[in-house]
Amino acid sequence: MKKTIQRELLLPQPREMVWRALTDSTKLAEWMFPNDFVPRVGHQFTFQVPPNPKTRFDGLVVNSEVLECEPPGRLAFSWSVRGLEGTRVSFQLEPHGDGTRLLFEHSGFDISQPWGKQSFRGAELGWTSMFEKLTAVVAGLAANGE
Amino acid sequence: MVVTFDHEPDVFGAISHPARRRMLDLLVEADRSVNTLAGQFKMSRPAVSQHLRILLAAGLVTEQRHGRERRYHLVPEGLGPLREWMAHYERFWDEHLQRLQKTLFKMSQE
Repeated sequence: MKKTIQRELLLPQPREMVWRALTDSTKLAEWMFPNDFVPRVGHQFTFQVPPNPKTRFDGLVVNSEVLECEPPGRLAFSWSVRGLEGTRVSFQLEPHGDGTRLLFEHSGFDISQPWGKQSFRGAELGWTSMFEKLTAVVAGLAANGE
Repeated sequence: MVVTFDHEPDVFGAISHPARRRMLDLLVEADRSVNTLAGQFKMSRPAVSQHLRILLAAGLVTEQRHGRERRYHLVPEGLGPLREWMAHYERFWDEHLQRLQKTLFKMSQE
């Protein structure tokens, strides 16, 4: 089981435009969720995941802090949901012809390691509530659709 | 004697209770009898047994009789459904990165 989710996208748009889609709060909300993001290291912000009565999903807040912000090349923020602390989401933008190569990474899923003493110790830190909550999130998001 | 259950185990429900998570923690270290486990909790022995039955039903522990004593053994493979959560998260990002591409397409039309 992987500890990190990685994706690579080749985008026809220039880096500056991709950077704007990542760091302009309104644009970010368009493809993620309503947020109070500001592109400044140390800024704490939230994503408000809306409820979906159809799936009995109550909604959720993702707590984040900007960890790296180097326009137009690199953005990283923490990603914490109740019970899941300290995972990290990062975007690296590299020029690729007239467009952009986007390297996406979500890391810090230590709990996905083979189950042993260490991972069970995490139980006291609440990884189980993370599973419950995030399973609900993902189910809710899938049901919300586009 | 090993008790098994045929129906779909409710792993998420089983680990939703802090006492049951604590029991799994204790069973990681060693197999334990009901009495040994009960000694670690303030609740009554029947209450501990009830929690153990839920863990049994979820396929997270097995029960073996040693004479008059029942011992409980952790089944780590029972936690498999939890790992699927990672796969859910992969889908989450695939969807949202697709949405990012749509946003970018709209921006480039402006």
